[in-house]
Amino acid sequence: MTLLPYIKLDHIVKQFGSVKAVDDCSIEVRKGEIFSLIGENGAGKSTMMKLLYGIHRPDQGLIQLDGQTLEDLTPQKAIACGIGMVHQEFMLVKEFTVLENIILGFEPKGPMGRIDFAAAREKVQRYIDDYSLDVQPDKLVQNISVGEAQRVEIIKTLYRGANVLILDEPTAVLTPGETKQFFDILRSMRDDGKTIIFISHKLHEVLEISDRIGVMRRGKYMATLDRPEATAEKLVNLMVGRNVEMSDRPSPCHPGPVVLEVQDLEVLGQRWLSTIKKVSFHLCAGEILGVAGVDGNGQSELVDAICGLRPILAGSVKLTGREMAGKKAGQLRKAGLAHIPEDRNTRGLNKEFTINENLVAIHLEEVSRGELLDRKKIAQKGKELIEKYDIRPADGELKAGTLSGGNAQKIVVAREIESGGKLLIAAQPTRGVDIGAIESIRGYLNRAKEQGVAVLLISADLDEIIALSDRIIVLHEGRISGELPGGDVDMERLGLLMTGGKSDEG
Amino acid sequence: MMQLSDVLSYTLVHATLRSTAPILLATIAAVISKQANIINMGIEGIMLFGAYTGYVVGYFTRSWVAGVLASVAVGTLLGMLVGCAHLKFKAHILVVGFAVNMLALAMTRFMLQQIFGVSGALVLPDPVSLPTIHIAALESSPVLSSLFSDYCFMEPIAILLVIALWLVLYKTSVGLHLRSVGLNEPSAMTAGIDIGRNKFMAITLSGLFAGLAGAYLSMGYSTMFVENMTNGRGYMALAAMNFGSGNPLFAMGGALIFGFMDSIGARLQSFGFPSQFVLMIPYVTTVVVLTIAMVSARRKEKAMILKQYRDGEKTVQTS
Repeated sequence: MTLLPYIKLDHIVKQFGSVKAVDDCSIEVRKGEIFSLIGENGAGKSTMMKLLYGIHRPDQGLIQLDGQTLEDLTPQKAIACGIGMVHQEFMLVKEFTVLENIILGFEPKGPMGRIDFAAAREKVQRYIDDYSLDVQPDKLVQNISVGEAQRVEIIKTLYRGANVLILDEPTAVLTPGETKQFFDILRSMRDDGKTIIFISHKLHEVLEISDRIGVMRRGKYMATLDRPEATAEKLVNLMVGRNVEMSDRPSPCHPGPVVLEVQDLEVLGQRWLSTIKKVSFHLCAGEILGVAGVDGNGQSELVDAICGLRPILAGSVKLTGREMAGKKAGQLRKAGLAHIPEDRNTRGLNKEFTINENLVAIHLEEVSRGELLDRKKIAQKGKELIEKYDIRPADGELKAGTLSGGNAQKIVVAREIESGGKLLIAAQPTRGVDIGAIESIRGYLNRAKEQGVAVLLISADLDEIIALSDRIIVLHEGRISGELPGGDVDMERLGLLMTGGKSDEG
Repeated sequence: MMQLSDVLSYTLVHATLRSTAPILLATIAAVISKQANIINMGIEGIMLFGAYTGYVVGYFTRSWVAGVLASVAVGTLLGMLVGCAHLKFKAHILVVGFAVNMLALAMTRFMLQQIFGVSGALVLPDPVSLPTIHIAALESSPVLSSLFSDYCFMEPIAILLVIALWLVLYKTSVGLHLRSVGLNEPSAMTAGIDIGRNKFMAITLSGLFAGLAGAYLSMGYSTMFVENMTNGRGYMALAAMNFGSGNPLFAMGGALIFGFMDSIGARLQSFGFPSQFVLMIPYVTTVVVLTIAMVSARRKEKAMILKQYRDGEKTVQTS
């Protein structure tokens, strides 16, 4: 490993509208190292790497590779320079086969412009063998697991001749077991001389895999640490700028009567993995039940089915003793359901409406006179909730779309908690929001629980599940693979249940 | 009195292929743009422009080649216009398509009146027509001769074009790139594929084939120009494309259904069947074909998940 910088991002500035996503950042990466870029959501990590990959152009600053300045970078040029990127969202055409996806854009050609599939297969097989990657080239991408899709992405970048691999939050969709395997692949690629840039916000992963660690906070580059000098405390301090004391234990729980009872529920999902198969559980008033699991194992389907947004194949869903299977979303709401949807941008909010309008949206009868809306009442109710939930900026007439992720999410949380429901379904309530908002949203959920609301918490963030849940059920491939008590959670057992109780990939 | 055997005889094969050809050429246009995830509603209008241009240019130049080239050129230009409006100026494709269709109806009628002083149909004396292939060896057998001889050369070519399109789409880089653009734009973009160029190419080619379909309509299928002579064939092509979910070979199946119903309708009418009902046939067929396509697509999707469900249950039980 040479100590000279191989990749140099020099005094980069990038602005989106009025927001400075990257503000005068300089990063140097050495050849043949695993360099981690760590920071909170919105710190500018992804933006920085998208600049290096040519998806965005910097407003100011230089990008250098091996001493050469790269100008007017586009993804095509970046690929030609040997830079490859695995995006947070997989860039795979699900109707294509694995092989077609790998060679897309770089097909070996035979006569008459025909694709030489045999040559492609041979070349791809070499990468599969070199790094012992478990990938089946002829399967359609829609039929493979998330872990396999990620390996396909990696082969794709290798196939395109990448010497530099940028991995954007690659472990977010993996089980602990898959992550371990994934790290082995990264190490063997590094030992092969590849340079790897690993973007993450998970401290323990960064500490495990990196040679050096760069920290970003709110668009600024804070520091570079060599692995030996890095500790979790140091990193958190650099990331957040203060010590965050978040409770990692649920508050005391005094469960009341059963509010939600799900029996032998079957729901068709988009794929087999996410199809709900005979799921049964119950949830009491004043209790938070956490649903853990790797994304795409039926969490969305379960939530949609309970909320009347997806047809139920078989089984029953009882809300305070009344059968609700087959009822419409509106009827469920009337029966006492509140729902923080996982995607606030499409289901949680109308971004073109004002904060106030979003806040009162589900109980319009409270703010109308006859059939007419009463602007004064809307403003009054909005003001009250904005103060109570500390939504910023505190101007109810602003469009919801102008708020930051955290504040936008607070609108949804405020509306749903204040709807007076007996059952609150919180799906990924803190996804993509800043750490301050995470703290308050978790506080609101706890408060709801203390007031006797039954809370079903679905989260891909294990820390969140552990910090809030009185009981935890684990979803794996659409089944409940086990239940754990909250509090002191046996992490090993939890990880095992998330993978179905056995290590499914050898 | 009408006899069923008169309607359903071997001569129906020839008639069906004849009626299918214009729809099939338009279906090629629909499939190409669909592969780039664009529903080119303007095919109907571009076809009508193509029919007019080909007929008139052919007549004045006395050359069917010139007529076809003119149709193709007009179709290509209109395709580029639609592409520009939709891709560059972000107009909704359905709106652009309907604009082209309405313009085509009005413009051809206007030119008919201004240049030829007629309305309704334009039948020029001694018009040029596309050559037909006569196989003298088959003359002795009326059956074989009906089945294989006297086709306009464009009819077999349309079928060959469909097969060629299938090969390009599924076996070549160009096709893989185009399909990736239609199915998943971000993936295509990160693979270094130029989205805009591919889409523009697709819609331009779509215009080209729609123009060709028009040329066949006024110089091969018939030898005259009639106002609104496309008569919904562009829409039927979109339905056929939908029927085949964008796959040219399956879409050809859809086009054949329309061609078949069209030729049956023509016969029923000559047998004194009420014309109102006969005229309805293509549209009723369109509705039926689209319904079948959608129901079967949904069934297939459900069956696949259910099959996975059962397979999954089995593996769980055996393990």
